[in-house]
Amino acid sequence: MTAARYLTMENTWRRIDTGARTVGVAERAALGTSARVAAWPAHQLPRVLAAVDTELALLDQQASRFRPDSEISAICRGASGAQGGGSRIVSEGLAEAIAVALAAARWTGGLVDPTVGGALCSLGYDRDFAAIRSDGAMPRGPAHVPGWQSVRLDGRRLRLAAGTWLDLGATAKGLGADRAAREAAAAVPAGGVLVSLGGDIAVAGEAPVGGWPVLVADEHWPEPTSQAPDRGGRPAPFPPQSRGQVVRLVTGALATSSILCRQWRRGGRTLHHIVDPRTGVPAVGPWRTVSVAAANCAAANAASTAAIIAGDQAPAWLAAQGLPARLVARDGSVRLVGGWPATDDGLLEPPGICRTPAGPGPVPGSVALAVPAAVDRSSPPGPARRSAGRTPPGPRRSPGARRWR
Amino acid sequence: MDRDDAERPGWVRLPGYDDDTGYQRDAGPWRGAASPRAGGVRRLRRASNWTAAALIAVVAAATGYFVHHASPATPTVTTVTGTAPGTGSTAGPGKPTLSSPVATSTGSGVVVTTGPGGVKTYHYRGDN
Repeated sequence: MTAARYLTMENTWRRIDTGARTVGVAERAALGTSARVAAWPAHQLPRVLAAVDTELALLDQQASRFRPDSEISAICRGASGAQGGGSRIVSEGLAEAIAVALAAARWTGGLVDPTVGGALCSLGYDRDFAAIRSDGAMPRGPAHVPGWQSVRLDGRRLRLAAGTWLDLGATAKGLGADRAAREAAAAVPAGGVLVSLGGDIAVAGEAPVGGWPVLVADEHWPEPTSQAPDRGGRPAPFPPQSRGQVVRLVTGALATSSILCRQWRRGGRTLHHIVDPRTGVPAVGPWRTVSVAAANCAAANAASTAAIIAGDQAPAWLAAQGLPARLVARDGSVRLVGGWPATDDGLLEPPGICRTPAGPGPVPGSVALAVPAAVDRSSPPGPARRSAGRTPPGPRRSPGARRWR
Repeated sequence: MDRDDAERPGWVRLPGYDDDTGYQRDAGPWRGAASPRAGGVRRLRRASNWTAAALIAVVAAATGYFVHHASPATPTVTTVTGTAPGTGSTAGPGKPTLSSPVATSTGSGVVVTTGPGGVKTYHYRGDN
């Protein structure tokens, strides 16, 4: 019998002393993870936090599939109900979140797919991560992934195929960081803001001299963890082997995806939350952690997730997009592409050329994720690209999926 | 250009004008035995000097007070106080310079560990 002990981070902002008096930093739990905000001048922090609170509350209400009272939960329940499918008008905020997710799906050739919600639920990730049962039975087979092309969004009118459960996890946090950073910077007369949602980071306004220093970490914490001290809920220091690299961000965003976080067990197997839509099961590939810098956090978030799924093709694809990336292989070796700095304190320079950020609009077909213009010219990784723009993908099973049946 | 308006209607000479020995400065008597008018002028000048000095002191004190206590309207007045060496400073027009990370980019910001007895512990990370 296992028991879960949850070290709760307070839902109210807690000031963090980073040693720099000119920058105010605060942190709290949000969206099932941690939110951290840094702002300068430090005296503007309260106004910045208020703006961030507003955006996080909106996003949570719109797009959290773990809240039964959220808008997306109600929509998915409707799509899975007796009537199934159908269309409905959604809020502008949720329409934007879905539009960004669909644009990311198109950009990545379907490797990042918002219709994997059902697959995640069947694997046990059907509630807030902290509440997942420690173990349980594996499903009999991989869940059906309806495919992003089955989702129709025309302005605020959304149509889902029957049985579709949306999961915006690959883009929503990034979008939230983008929204929060933008609104927070607009709420203050001068200075700069950094917003991190679970490690997906967006900056806005003026950066400090030399950029915002950010630690890019590869969370590799061996189990069982005698090294993991209980510090009363406070984060423990990183183990030396996962110290990571410090980079500096002046503009744009930075996101990290990893199969080492959000792991749980089913049927004696360790699962993680990055599901390959081609198989309906957690991705199996050479990378355990991928960090990507992009013009905005939604794009960085989508690219880092797609790279985990893309596997061997990820470095070439990221380089073709002009996206600086740091890929950590399962054996701990690190590969840098796209101009990612080779040394500590190096400057990250995500591509500044981007399209207008996505807003509610006709999808699929014309909404573009705010990514470099080169996106559409290169070949996204993965065989899913071959079917992009044609028929929605049906149930697909890979050898990897059959193995655990 | 000097001009004597003593003869203009309505003008009255100062008392002791006629006794003014100012024109005898070359002889030196004005230094020790100043006329009433000259003494008045000196007192007035002395008082003006003290008044000006007092005003300057008050203005300087007020300026210093506001510089140190008023909320900065722009980042240009952001200062570093009590910062440990090497952890932060300002440079340029109020922009801070940071030498330590203010955030961490990790996968989803959560790591789960399992301790003795299968106790799962959820560590929210994202800072260090």
